[in-house]
Amino acid sequence: MIVLLAIVGGVTAGLVLQPTVPLDLQPYLPIAVVAALDALFGGVRAWLEQIFNDKVFVVSFIGNVLVASLIVYLGDKLGVGGELSTGIVVVLGIRIFSNAAAIRRHLFRA
Amino acid sequence: MSLLVDLWTNALDPGYAATARSGGRPGSWTRRVVPLAVGLVAASFLVVIAAVQAHARAPAAARAHERLVAQVQQESKAVADLSSEVDRLRAVTGALRDSSLQGSAAGAALSTQLARAELAAGTVAVTGPGLRVTLDDAPATGAGQGNQGQGNRVEDRDLQGVVNALWASGAEAIAVNGQRLTGQSSIRSAGDAILVDFQPLRPPYVVEAIGDPVGMETTFAQSAAVARMRSYVQLYGLRFGYARASGLELPAGVEEQLHDARPVHPPATKQSTPNEKGSG
Repeated sequence: MIVLLAIVGGVTAGLVLQPTVPLDLQPYLPIAVVAALDALFGGVRAWLEQIFNDKVFVVSFIGNVLVASLIVYLGDKLGVGGELSTGIVVVLGIRIFSNAAAIRRHLFRA
Repeated sequence: MSLLVDLWTNALDPGYAATARSGGRPGSWTRRVVPLAVGLVAASFLVVIAAVQAHARAPAAARAHERLVAQVQQESKAVADLSSEVDRLRAVTGALRDSSLQGSAAGAALSTQLARAELAAGTVAVTGPGLRVTLDDAPATGAGQGNQGQGNRVEDRDLQGVVNALWASGAEAIAVNGQRLTGQSSIRSAGDAILVDFQPLRPPYVVEAIGDPVGMETTFAQSAAVARMRSYVQLYGLRFGYARASGLELPAGVEEQLHDARPVHPPATKQSTPNEKGSG
């Protein structure tokens, strides 16, 4: 219930406010989204395995987004921006995929 | 490999398992729900603004691309207009010069000399029989193979070789895709395009050379450039061919203005100079 409300609230806030992301922050947005998706899928899987913990969820979400953005920032400064972003996308992509597979196993027992 | 296996098996944040093992759930309802709600709101907010951003930016990128394309076309048209204007003005000055030179006998002699020099320098349009050589890239292989695609293109060296072979076979005037070659022409590549006198060409490349068709063809056919092109046809699938042609029309080349170069011996004394040196 609270989950649904929170998601609806976030989506409406995003749609209503339509904030313009500052140009400096735009490179970090896709990576931040991938990190957020990773945290979300991890949370759902943990919930299905009945070990969900809200504190771990929030901390992992904020931590993931920050670390991912930091790595992209570092990559930019070191001149290897694209490569490091690719690395993050690969790592988080694999995690998302395997979490999604675990969720699928829980939901459909297959 | 172990890194990938590790990633796959430990996809879930280890924090969940750790807190589950320690078994401690913080007591109050608000302390559990508020952070969760804040986290979810933040996560969905982030996803939505990213989506909005991507949606808003895509048309902007397309618009910028369109604007650039339009700008390129407009500027190319301006260049074409200006060069046709230059051609027209050059014709006018040529006619004026001829009419003022025709006044005297010395002027008339100078005029014919000038006409011959212009013909040799390639700054007047010419017509005559000759050879037409066609070079083209290999047909697209379909699959996007980067290196393969690079290998199957006509390169500036090939075009240079063919043009040099034509000059060596006795060509008197040569044009590549309608670009007349003069003493200061260059054939080189920039990126994927071959430039002749800084004008990018698009394949197929048609080299038209005016000269004695039979003699030129005989010599050209035996040249190293043709042998090389034939092997490229076999190896890389490039397309290459030549045929005799009559009534080729080559446009005038761009007349280069020499600003700093001066003859070592002034033209008037040039003929007598060797004799003087021989006797002295």
